[in-house]
Amino acid sequence: MKPSLFEIFKLYFIIGLQLIGGGYVIYPLLKKYLIEDKNLLTEDELTDYLAISQCLPGIIALNVSIFSGYKLRKIKGAIIAVLGLLLPAFLIILLLANIILTYQENQIVKYFMFGVRLSIIVLITSMLYDIFKKIINSKFSIFIFLLILFASLYANISPTFLVIITIVISFLKGVNND
Amino acid sequence: MINITTLLFLEFLKIGIFAIGGGYATIPFLFHLIDKYHWFWPKDLTNMIALSNMTPGPVGINMATYVGFTTGGLKGSLMATLGIITGPFIITLFVIFFINKYKQSQALKNILEGVKPAACALISVVLIQLVRDNLFIDAKFNPNAVIILVVLFFIFKYTKKFPSLIILAGGILGIISYIFQN
Repeated sequence: MKPSLFEIFKLYFIIGLQLIGGGYVIYPLLKKYLIEDKNLLTEDELTDYLAISQCLPGIIALNVSIFSGYKLRKIKGAIIAVLGLLLPAFLIILLLANIILTYQENQIVKYFMFGVRLSIIVLITSMLYDIFKKIINSKFSIFIFLLILFASLYANISPTFLVIITIVISFLKGVNND
Repeated sequence: MINITTLLFLEFLKIGIFAIGGGYATIPFLFHLIDKYHWFWPKDLTNMIALSNMTPGPVGINMATYVGFTTGGLKGSLMATLGIITGPFIITLFVIFFINKYKQSQALKNILEGVKPAACALISVVLIQLVRDNLFIDAKFNPNAVIILVVLFFIFKYTKKFPSLIILAGGILGIISYIFQN
């Protein structure tokens, strides 16, 4: 039996509330709510969605929700799933943005945020280290990494343009190899 | 002359399409927005990254909501958030219709092989900028920042799975450094 749109909204809203941390957190959440509790998907389907989402532009959690929402109730399901998933985040950020904008001149808050920004350096360093190990593994990947690094550092070219250049180079390299 | 909400929508539409590889990939694009429009400061952006890490929701989307709100109010936050999801939404639906062809596409694999290191490079540049902005005050080395950073790296070794904990620890150390200074 197909779930109602309201039920889809409710499920994704609950998942959205718990989606803290990286995009992959969506996997265990969908598994629990959609597969184990409601039996709406199979685990193979979910794994497929995750694999394809990793290769798509956009946010992984979002792409997986579009796939699974579509599976439940076609386009309507996909739209409702996305709305449900994002609404909690949207409301919480609005609330916090208001609080931050009100208190940002306070000395204690200022120093709190000073420390917080340093913690972001730690988080980004660790994240970079992890993906570095995974994807910088060929001459080509090193070449692209250095090219974009120096282009971005010294030429102040927009990231969009750099990504487009990378797409063209990678595509041509692929054509050349075939 | 386009108004700010339309501009927000268009800029975040672009980010949604080109920031490939998770929420952190959006950060270089957001830094570029600073150069282009001066809607906010690098400091605001870093605060935003912290906030997004501690609250539910994908980091990229949270940042769109926050940037949109601080630049264009409620309407701005709606348009920026819509902007960042529109591209992926259309692309994902497109893929659903052509799923089998897509799975085997060698051309796409080649492209990703290049785009991932590029995203990595762009984020590295952000990291360099963050270090420069936060470890130096008016081109002078800030010893407090270095001490806090070292302590945080140490704490991080044990709290890897919980990014919010390390952010909280950072905030507390920041307040401690304030108490010591006065």
